[in-house]
Amino acid sequence: MKHTWAMAIDLDRCTGCGACVVACNAENNIPVIGEAEAGKNRLMHWIRVNRYWEGEYPEAQAVYLPIPCMQCERAPCELVCPVYATYHNEDGLNAMVYNRCIGTRYCANNCPYSVRVFNWYDYKWEKPLDEQLSPDLTVRSRGVMEKCTFCIQRIRRAKETAAEEGREIRDGEVVPACVQTCPPGAMLFGDLADPHSEITRKLKDPRRFRLMEHLGTEPRVVYLKRQKGAGR
Amino acid sequence: MSAEAPRADDHHLAKTDETAMFERLSRSNLVTTWKWYLGVGVAGAVLLWGLIVFLYMAMVGMGVTGYNKPVFWGLYEASLVFWIGLSHSGTLISAILRLTHATWRAPVLRGAEAMTAFTLMVGGLIPIVHLGRNWRVYYALPYPSSRELWPNMRSPLMWDAMAITTYLIGSLTFLYVGMIPDLALLRDKSAGGRRKFYSALSLGFRGTHAQWRRYHVASTLFAILIIPIAVSVHSIVSWDFAMAKVPGWHSTIFAPYFVVGAIFSGIAGVVIVMAILRKAFRLESVLTPLHFDNLGKLLCTMTLLWGYFYFTEFLTVWYNRNPEEWEVFSSYAGPYLPLFLTMIVCNFVIPFPMLCLKRVRRSISLILVPAISIVIGMYAERLLIVIPSLARRNDPFIWANYFPTWVEFSVMAGAAAMFVLLYMLFAKFFPIMAISDIKERLFHTADRTIGGTTVESIAQVEGEEEAHA
Amino acid sequence: MSTVIVGLFDGVETAARAGRALKGLSLPAGSVTTLSAVPLPDGAVVTDPTPIRFPRIVIAGWFVGAAAGLGLTLATYMLYPLVTGGKTIVSVPPTLIITYEVAMLGALLGTLFGSGREMGLLRFPPKVIHDPRIHDGKIALCARVEGDEQARRTIEAMREAGGTEVRAEEGEL
Repeated sequence: MKHTWAMAIDLDRCTGCGACVVACNAENNIPVIGEAEAGKNRLMHWIRVNRYWEGEYPEAQAVYLPIPCMQCERAPCELVCPVYATYHNEDGLNAMVYNRCIGTRYCANNCPYSVRVFNWYDYKWEKPLDEQLSPDLTVRSRGVMEKCTFCIQRIRRAKETAAEEGREIRDGEVVPACVQTCPPGAMLFGDLADPHSEITRKLKDPRRFRLMEHLGTEPRVVYLKRQKGAGR
Repeated sequence: MSAEAPRADDHHLAKTDETAMFERLSRSNLVTTWKWYLGVGVAGAVLLWGLIVFLYMAMVGMGVTGYNKPVFWGLYEASLVFWIGLSHSGTLISAILRLTHATWRAPVLRGAEAMTAFTLMVGGLIPIVHLGRNWRVYYALPYPSSRELWPNMRSPLMWDAMAITTYLIGSLTFLYVGMIPDLALLRDKSAGGRRKFYSALSLGFRGTHAQWRRYHVASTLFAILIIPIAVSVHSIVSWDFAMAKVPGWHSTIFAPYFVVGAIFSGIAGVVIVMAILRKAFRLESVLTPLHFDNLGKLLCTMTLLWGYFYFTEFLTVWYNRNPEEWEVFSSYAGPYLPLFLTMIVCNFVIPFPMLCLKRVRRSISLILVPAISIVIGMYAERLLIVIPSLARRNDPFIWANYFPTWVEFSVMAGAAAMFVLLYMLFAKFFPIMAISDIKERLFHTADRTIGGTTVESIAQVEGEEEAHA
Repeated sequence: MSTVIVGLFDGVETAARAGRALKGLSLPAGSVTTLSAVPLPDGAVVTDPTPIRFPRIVIAGWFVGAAAGLGLTLATYMLYPLVTGGKTIVSVPPTLIITYEVAMLGALLGTLFGSGREMGLLRFPPKVIHDPRIHDGKIALCARVEGDEQARRTIEAMREAGGTEVRAEEGEL
């Protein structure tokens, strides 16, 4: 059965706590690079929480925007890779093959959301931190690109379990680390191919919008936000 | 032919002492000074340093450079465009001059063609330098392997690889085939090991009538083929940027704009190389102010063309104020102001008025000022194309600036040294002056008396040769 | 190996005179040629009877290259039907670009090898007729002859026209 994985992020609920970032780091063997490297804008996070300010000082209000990989239907990053290291997989996900990557970084330049990160060094997990590495996915070597996979290892596991038990994947069975962690429950993950799934219902919400829709990338991540002002 | 046989010394070649001319023109091959050894030593040392730093970068990771999250491309990629751009004039100029039978072309040809070949070798290596995993570069070659890997022909980087390969092979053959008669000359004039070396390289060219006729057709064909290749190469280099969804890069004007910029910096490079050759190998008698005057006129035209293209590109963005693109252009007034000013001043403000003056164009030391300033200005322009667009991406939250570290500077210094070294070695072992072409021009030249003055008149026999082909 | 009469001439005019004289001897076409440091216009001293054919190889090279480029892209589409960016597998513009570049490469190599072959380059017979003095302003006129009578008359004609060091040599012309 074909899946159409999608994510909804309710910005009216997001508090900008950053738990999704931490959960993602733990789940996906993402290196913690330290203050000095972070100061050079080399954070390895697969999901980041943008913070913008609305209004002027006394009435200033923070707006948080968590940005994972949008898993675009028409992903600009895929086209430009000279070695097919990133391509569209059978679930319609924007997959990244680390072993193929030669590190041209062109995909990162061509991603309008700037969600792709590059392994600047061979990052080390000092003992006992190496104990926390997930065995489900590789530790990437220096010189390759990486990015959010919608926790593809969890999708795979759910598929295998479902196949063993001879059934379809149930709605809510696959939950990426960020969605699982989100304290205010602002994030939702599911299969749009299933007409009865929660995400299918959620995406009929009139608050929905997609990021930089005018670029024609058709992102799979949909945001929900109450719009203020005239005409809304 | 008239009944009365004209005197044998009618043409200028007959009046020339060819042995003396050969010795004058091949000073670079015959005399080795301590300055040459010093130059090779310094260039070799810098190249070695660049190589060591490159290996260090490859072993430790790209983190030792100044690259960061939005600015994934920087000095390396700008240098790639710069070197490929410099390569544009040599072969292109040489081909255009050949096809239009410009009579002053002969002394410029070889030096310009060699410049193309070597800048292209340097430029062609940078895509490998900039890779995150340089040691896996063969993944981009289309050959069947157990890894089940194949390159993606849709990627502009693959077009680039194809185009640069074609251009490199093309300009090397253009350089080599143009050199065969001179290699035959060196073979006949040398002895011992050098003779064996030139014998092998001249492939048995003797200068029979049939060989010369075919040789002429071949050089014309090379010139015809190389021009569209040169244009396509820099268009494709521009498409590496223009194909991307990056504000400031995604622009239809990029291809012609890059081609013009490439020829612009290339001619400036040719002027500098010619001035150095003239001084180093005492070629004052062949590389005359006339050549610099003509190159200066071309350069002046290109300055205007470049200014026109830049203005056109800037105007559309300025008027439209599309916020994404406007943010990129506003950064030219912010952190990138020094680069922007360098570009405008060095590419237009200095060279244009200077090149309008005949006095400047005819003086070798003065014309070097606009030429060097253009090379600097075009480097700044390449940096300005690559960096600010990435530093001001669609999402303001991740904006960041970029400044190269000692690593990028060292590796690129090594690249420049590689060019100097290759050129010096070439000048030492190969004929840097197109002696046969110079002789041919003298052969076609005769004095013609008009009233009270005598002028040179040049017979155009090439057209007839092509008619036969 | 054949017998070749070689004469050195000081200028193009004396060489032309000798060339005209040799025409009267009715030597077979293509057996008279010059060795010179500069290209002489066709007909100035000798006329080249064989047409220049290698531009055909250039055109053939272009088509071979185009086929190779087209084949390369088509093979990519067939062997690796990976969806990228939601686009169709087979796409025309990249195919055109790759085909163009490889075709131009083919034409270049066609010119290189075609002209090299027709110029007789990369052939090193044991003894070849050559005179390095052509680089000192001389023009060497060479005529392949058969039999002593023809050789004698050729030598005579060259000497009469002003040729110096006229001699008979054995070798490939």
